[in-house]
Amino acid sequence: MSVGPFEAFWLIMRRELTLSFRRPEQLLQPLVFFLIVTTLFPLGLNLQLSLLRDMSPGVLWVAALLSSLLSLDALFKSDADDGTLEQLALGGQGLTLIVTAKTCAHWVVSGAALVLVAPLVAIALNIPTGAFATMMVSLAMGTLTLSWLGAIGAGLTVGLRRGNVLLSLIVLPLAMPLLIFGAAATDRAISQVSTAGALYFLAALCVFTCTLAPFAATAALRITLE
Amino acid sequence: MWTWFYKLASPPHVYSVAGAFAPWFLGLAALTLGFGVIDGLAFAPPDYQQGDAFRIIYVHAPAAWMSTFIYTTMAVAGAIGLIWRIKMGHAVAAACAPVGASFTVLALATGSLWGKPMWGTYWAWDPRLTSELILLFLYVGVLSLRSAFEDAARGDRAAALLAIVGVVNVPIIHYSVVWWNSLHQGATVAKLGKPSIDTAMLWPLLSMLLGSMLFFGAVLCFRLQGEVLNRERQASWVRQALKS
Amino acid sequence: MNGGGFWAMGGYARYVWPCFALAAVVFAWNLMSARRYHAAARLRARRALIMEAAEGDEHRS
Repeated sequence: MSVGPFEAFWLIMRRELTLSFRRPEQLLQPLVFFLIVTTLFPLGLNLQLSLLRDMSPGVLWVAALLSSLLSLDALFKSDADDGTLEQLALGGQGLTLIVTAKTCAHWVVSGAALVLVAPLVAIALNIPTGAFATMMVSLAMGTLTLSWLGAIGAGLTVGLRRGNVLLSLIVLPLAMPLLIFGAAATDRAISQVSTAGALYFLAALCVFTCTLAPFAATAALRITLE
Repeated sequence: MWTWFYKLASPPHVYSVAGAFAPWFLGLAALTLGFGVIDGLAFAPPDYQQGDAFRIIYVHAPAAWMSTFIYTTMAVAGAIGLIWRIKMGHAVAAACAPVGASFTVLALATGSLWGKPMWGTYWAWDPRLTSELILLFLYVGVLSLRSAFEDAARGDRAAALLAIVGVVNVPIIHYSVVWWNSLHQGATVAKLGKPSIDTAMLWPLLSMLLGSMLFFGAVLCFRLQGEVLNRERQASWVRQALKS
Repeated sequence: MNGGGFWAMGGYARYVWPCFALAAVVFAWNLMSARRYHAAARLRARRALIMEAAEGDEHRS
């Protein structure tokens, strides 16, 4: 029984999501981390609300970056460890499809979840509600880009001891432009200035990464697994 | 006609060529760097705006140029190793990494020291400075990734992939002063048209740039010889080569 | 040369000279480190050859 590529994609996505939801605590951990990190800044800096608002885009984005990194380590690890990845690759659909499905599933449970939780955090950071739309759009694009950058990093470090530290070391420099433009978009929304430029740039980064990263991540997995 | 090119894939050939070129590169580098430093420090006229502080350009600009040039070389060499499976490509990439990282540190440090008298600050989160800092992090990532693998060949391939992914940063560094309003000044030499710098100041700068490239050539040759030996320890040509 | 002479660098001495000193350090480190790397590799290769020769003798004797 042969399966078309779209069917295969959905099958693998469904598998990933089912596996993720079987351990709900694992899903909640990065979200809780996100919430905690964003609380650390106001507590540590003891700022007045107006100053907090100025810092909030950066705080939000740094927290989002760091909490996304937490779940990236596990992207390929368990499947690589028990040989499932190789079996799936042999299945005829190609490794790139599998990698795409896994990364999209990862984004659904980490990035998309983050976007939904962001308004709560935004209230805590005193971000005006008018900026929420821009904030959520920019976070959605940014976390998707990050999932892909993370897929490349995860592919390169799967199976290494202390791979998660190296993963962060690899992914964070690549994610810096993302941070700059994502925070800039939210910042401009707060100041009620045109956000178009920053959002377009973010979208460009997202499209660029989503187009090329699948091949880079597949190549990375082939290097580390063969 | 292309035999010289194909021979570069052969480890014993690379080892002997590197050994032959290294002293020449080093000698010429010493001459050009020596001329550049002396001319730049003692004979170039002081800038009407920056005074004698502009002389930092004679170490900062070559360091910055080398940091991106070496990264690009490393990425290209890694790509050659990855795509055509030519091991010497990986050897060159491995040799480039620590040298490039050191030049990036030098560029950042000298830039910082130049920034204080000129802009009033040791650091600014300006596009060019930020992307140069990212370059340093990329170098560290490549070095760490290569050493994290027990299988050296796998480590080479992984590091090559990372270097290629990171090469996107290099055009960003160069064009950051064009694309954004930057504190950092625009291109003075590497642009089309007449250089926007006085000739008496230009000569020592060109000399330092050339000298740095030659110096990199020498250092690359030494490191490359080491890399080749480490990868080819078991090969039969090694015994003969070590006798010399 | 003006304003205090060559070493004063027109008042900017504490920025200019550390830059050149840093450059000297970086260049020197690169050269020494590269030569050391090559020397260590040569040593390891020589040792490997000696071990190989010793094993060869063992097989024969």
